[in-house]
Amino acid sequence: MARKKTAREATALRPSRKREAPVDPYEVPDEGETPRRRRRLETTDSANGNMQERRNGAAEDAQTAVETTPAKRRGRPPKSAAAGTPMAQATTPSAKRPRSLAETPVKVDGLDTPSRRNIADRSARRKSARALIDRVMGGTVSEDEVEEGDIAREIYESSEAEEEGQEGQEEAQEPTAPSKSPGRKRRAAARKRSPTPPRDLPPHEQYFYQNKPGLAKTSNNTLSSLDLLTHDEYFSVLRQLKDPHAADVNFLQNLHAESFAQWAFELSQGFSTCLYGYGSKRRLLHSFATYLSSQNPHHKVVIVNGYVRTLTARDILSTLTAAFPSPLTSNSSGGGGVGLNPSTTLQTLLTHLSTTSSSSGLTILVNSVDFPALRKPALQSLLSRLAAHSRIHLACTADTPNFPLLWDAGLRASFNFLFHDCTTFAPYGPCELEVVDEVHELLGRKSRRAGGKEGVAFVLRSLPENARALFRLLVGEVLVAMEEEQGGRGVGGGGRGGEEVAVEYKMVYNKAVEEFICSSEMAFRTLLKEFHDHQIITSHKDSIGTELLSLPFRKEELESILEELMS
Amino acid sequence: MDGNEDSGIFFEEDDHRAAYIFNADQPLSTQKQTPRPAKRRKVAKADAPRPHQDSSVELAFPPLFNGAEGSDAVRLRKQLYETAWPVLEDRIQHVLREANSNTLDEVTSFLQHAAEAETGKITAGFIITGPSIASQHLLFEQLGERLRTATRARFVRLRASEAPNLKAALKKIIQDATASGTDGEEVGDVEISHGGRKYLDYDLEALHVFLQQQQQQSPRVVVAFQDSEAFEGGLLTDLIALFHSWRDRIPFDLLFGIATSVELFQARLLKSTARQLYGAQFDVVQADSVLESVIKTAVAGSQAALRIGPSLLQSWVDRHRDQVAGIQVFISSLKYVYMCHFYADPLSVLLAGDGRLDRKLMQPEHIEAVRTLDSFKAQVEAAVEARQLNHAQSLLEDDDYLVAQILEQGQKRNEYLLRLLRSLHLVAATGLSSTSFTDLYILALSSGIDIDQSSGTVPLEDAVKRLRAEEFLSLINRLLMAVQTGSSDLGLDGWEPDAEELVGSLTDLRDEVDGLRERSKSNGTVLKSKYSAQSRVLRTTVVAQKVQLSQDTAIMTDEDKAFTKAVDALLDLLSENLNCGPIDNLFLHEAWVFDSKSPYRDVFVPCPDATFGRALSRPHDYLACACCAKANGGLASTLPTTAILYHLYLEAGALINVADLWSAYYALVGEESEPGLDERSALVCFYRGLAELRMMGFVKQSRKKADHVAKLKWLF
Repeated sequence: MARKKTAREATALRPSRKREAPVDPYEVPDEGETPRRRRRLETTDSANGNMQERRNGAAEDAQTAVETTPAKRRGRPPKSAAAGTPMAQATTPSAKRPRSLAETPVKVDGLDTPSRRNIADRSARRKSARALIDRVMGGTVSEDEVEEGDIAREIYESSEAEEEGQEGQEEAQEPTAPSKSPGRKRRAAARKRSPTPPRDLPPHEQYFYQNKPGLAKTSNNTLSSLDLLTHDEYFSVLRQLKDPHAADVNFLQNLHAESFAQWAFELSQGFSTCLYGYGSKRRLLHSFATYLSSQNPHHKVVIVNGYVRTLTARDILSTLTAAFPSPLTSNSSGGGGVGLNPSTTLQTLLTHLSTTSSSSGLTILVNSVDFPALRKPALQSLLSRLAAHSRIHLACTADTPNFPLLWDAGLRASFNFLFHDCTTFAPYGPCELEVVDEVHELLGRKSRRAGGKEGVAFVLRSLPENARALFRLLVGEVLVAMEEEQGGRGVGGGGRGGEEVAVEYKMVYNKAVEEFICSSEMAFRTLLKEFHDHQIITSHKDSIGTELLSLPFRKEELESILEELMS
Repeated sequence: MDGNEDSGIFFEEDDHRAAYIFNADQPLSTQKQTPRPAKRRKVAKADAPRPHQDSSVELAFPPLFNGAEGSDAVRLRKQLYETAWPVLEDRIQHVLREANSNTLDEVTSFLQHAAEAETGKITAGFIITGPSIASQHLLFEQLGERLRTATRARFVRLRASEAPNLKAALKKIIQDATASGTDGEEVGDVEISHGGRKYLDYDLEALHVFLQQQQQQSPRVVVAFQDSEAFEGGLLTDLIALFHSWRDRIPFDLLFGIATSVELFQARLLKSTARQLYGAQFDVVQADSVLESVIKTAVAGSQAALRIGPSLLQSWVDRHRDQVAGIQVFISSLKYVYMCHFYADPLSVLLAGDGRLDRKLMQPEHIEAVRTLDSFKAQVEAAVEARQLNHAQSLLEDDDYLVAQILEQGQKRNEYLLRLLRSLHLVAATGLSSTSFTDLYILALSSGIDIDQSSGTVPLEDAVKRLRAEEFLSLINRLLMAVQTGSSDLGLDGWEPDAEELVGSLTDLRDEVDGLRERSKSNGTVLKSKYSAQSRVLRTTVVAQKVQLSQDTAIMTDEDKAFTKAVDALLDLLSENLNCGPIDNLFLHEAWVFDSKSPYRDVFVPCPDATFGRALSRPHDYLACACCAKANGGLASTLPTTAILYHLYLEAGALINVADLWSAYYALVGEESEPGLDERSALVCFYRGLAELRMMGFVKQSRKKADHVAKLKWLF
């Protein structure tokens, strides 16, 4: 638990350290050499002082900040001014700088949240805030002063950006809060960086523009106020939802259906067709299958659903051998199943097809050829070998815009593809796209699991007694950890699932041995593997390599699972 | 939507299976009723007069002209396609096999010789294949066949993707080497055991034992690394070392397909490893020359029924050159163009010759279609300009007259093609033009052939004029030869009987010049024409201590004058014979020239990004719905959810806050707006849209901030 916390903090720290470097190169052209130099000096300067000193020296800092301003007012060239004033300080801290950097990461207990770097930045920030205020009070602004103000503002802004990346809790304690709004407004005016992005950039320019470090400013809003959908709710709402475009989608589909004859002709001429475009093409392909078999009833049609996540070469081959029962396969592997080796099975199938004289051919229709299950090179080369056979036709659909990357020139040549734009706008069915899971995965909320509580119960029923005992132990441990976490954190984070809370692998193993669930680590691993296979536990390593186990369930779910296990 | 959801539920069982045999007898009726009538609607009209369609198992072409095309015409188109293409395909295959045959012979004989010579090293053939993997495939297939039959060797092809590590590579080698011999007989039973022991499947001992069991005279094992650049250097080194150590028990030969150069390849191997190889290098015929012979045979040749227009052909050749698309792509493109033409162009029936095309076949629709052609317009305009008003009027009004004209065109087409090919062949035979045949052919199609020096497409005039007597004679001989033998590549027979005049004048010229040469030889002078460089002599004379430069025409003997005349005569002869108009000057060329790039480009070079982008940014283009017409590529609340999210996505930066995306979306479609969705329904739509964006690879999870996703796509 404690470990979990430190891990989170480590991730919070990392960006703040990283951001420092990339910001600079892009800031330079605006202000020239001076501000960067100055800022670094100032930060390192205050990096030396610890908390205590900062409190005492705050007044002095402000003093120096103010002192530098009049020096500029005299109209000295900016470069010499920058080099002149802090030169004496510059030599001292530079020696100590590496030490202060080296110290930062070795905090394990995670008690003092603001890192040394943060403190340093904050003092620099406070200084600059004060300089800003002084100047606003002071009235007249000379040319040099504008630049000086920029420096101060920049320090202020950059540290603010860093803080946004963190939890945002410190924000409230900031004493400088009142000066925030004037500072920001001025900056927008001074930096000439308009909030609306430049329009009509070519794509590559857009990429570089949008990936400018420091530019990615998004609000801190989260979806926490929104009650996320569950599977049940999603489907019940979906059933009542009417798509205003349904008629148009149907029309579009019928339009595509008029090309069936053309596709069939293309297939018969030894080409493969690939239908791509936005929208589900499952129904279209199904109608195409109907069309094909209505044209020639002896022609076998095999449909492969690429969106099924568990699809393997074996599935395809066994279906194909079932479609073409050959004496060889049924002899060698009994019952028409697939023999030991997919490639020999394929070889048998192909030779069987070329030797038999019957006129019937075979058409393979592949749904979603670019979904993860089919992205493996082995499967694609299997498909291409099938497609290259003269008696086998292949038509597939592709759902992502990147599908041409699936095939190299060799595969492309043996597929002999013709591509057709088949944008259907048809909604993806639940079998193709598990909407709720996808979105939650995208948001990092929950991952796939074995159908909730019932699924777990079902899985456990099929497992031996000691597996059940181990799972009971795990659930208990996680629940205890959750209790602790909630106690420690107060009210916050109540909605978070069990995935947030993890228990140490070693500790669980020790307990399991104590309770005679297993006798060796090997056996323990085997049990865990079973859970992994059913996706009812997840494991990961934290930053220092400790293996952690967690359960992808909510607290209430865990409680009811535990109840069930105990009964 | 109802229909969709129904179908979603209806197929549920099958849809969740990974693969299944489609069964048309399934009671699909409930939801299949909806699309059916719509589908039938078009075909229905044509179905009635085509009873034969059901009986034939083969796929029939659909009738064109909105179904009004007569069944005979449809059948004729199909027949034409079926006779036109296979002939070409055979010839192309022949050309391809020929192209590789030299390499095959060399490699085979090298391996055989190396087997006899005891070098103590592993024999290795380095085959420089060029950069296209697709063409390597064919080559290695042929190699495999050849070696299997010629040397009874076991042939194993390895591709880098199949052999990521030593174990996998060995497994594959052993598997293929043991399987390749037993093709039909005992496939399932290749596990070799020795004294009850079973070998691991990557143990070369197994292969050794297997080979011994085969009881053949030392069968060799040829391992071919198809894309050897793609293999890891270390893996190759290991494999070679291993083969070397097994050399006394299993005779290994290696073949490497190399795309770059042997030196680069060798640099990747250890020196000690390279020393274990005894190799030779083989060059495959360059892809360009293969392409040229394919074009000669299949595109330009007399057997090509359909002509590929110059701009399309040029784009293919460019693509072949620029994108290394491979000869296979070229052939597929050619085939597809044939398919397109006969499948979708009703006028393709005009290609039918020898009486298969008659008045009965020509429906009013055909005649109507002919009258819309550009070449028809050009023909009528030309007739009007030539004051053949009757002809023009009949063309426009009299159907029978037009049909008669159309039927005549077949003959004219053949004449044109023959003239074109003969001219091209003669141009090639002169050997004076440096342009490649492909370029020449494209040029001839687009702007005709003309050897005039200043305005012509193939300026040969100067080159002919500069000829010396010997060259002149050999040129004439070459031309005579060309006329006599024709060209087998082009499918052009000798046309001596047709060109009596040309042959006669050429032989006369030859005899004359021959005589002239003899005479001038006996006179001790060199025969020259007034065009040749020697005829002008730069003279330096010293007159009153001043150097005077003067250019004098050398004195022309009578023989020289006669030779000049002969050159002029040849030039006239050539410009008369090497002459041909551009292809689109011909009436009705649309019926037998295909020069549209669009189906080819759409079908072979898709741009999915643009397609997806267009669908999502302007759904109206596809859906043609009333509600989204106003949006015109902008954001509107009536667009499909994913399209709305896509618009928002385009506006967003590299990091997208999902909460903000949601509130923007909800503000657009929420209760106050036109769609007026309540929060939960809107959320369901939002979920769907977001899931689809993710599925299409537009966004991915970001760990930088809570509830943020990262943008992945910029290029559309």
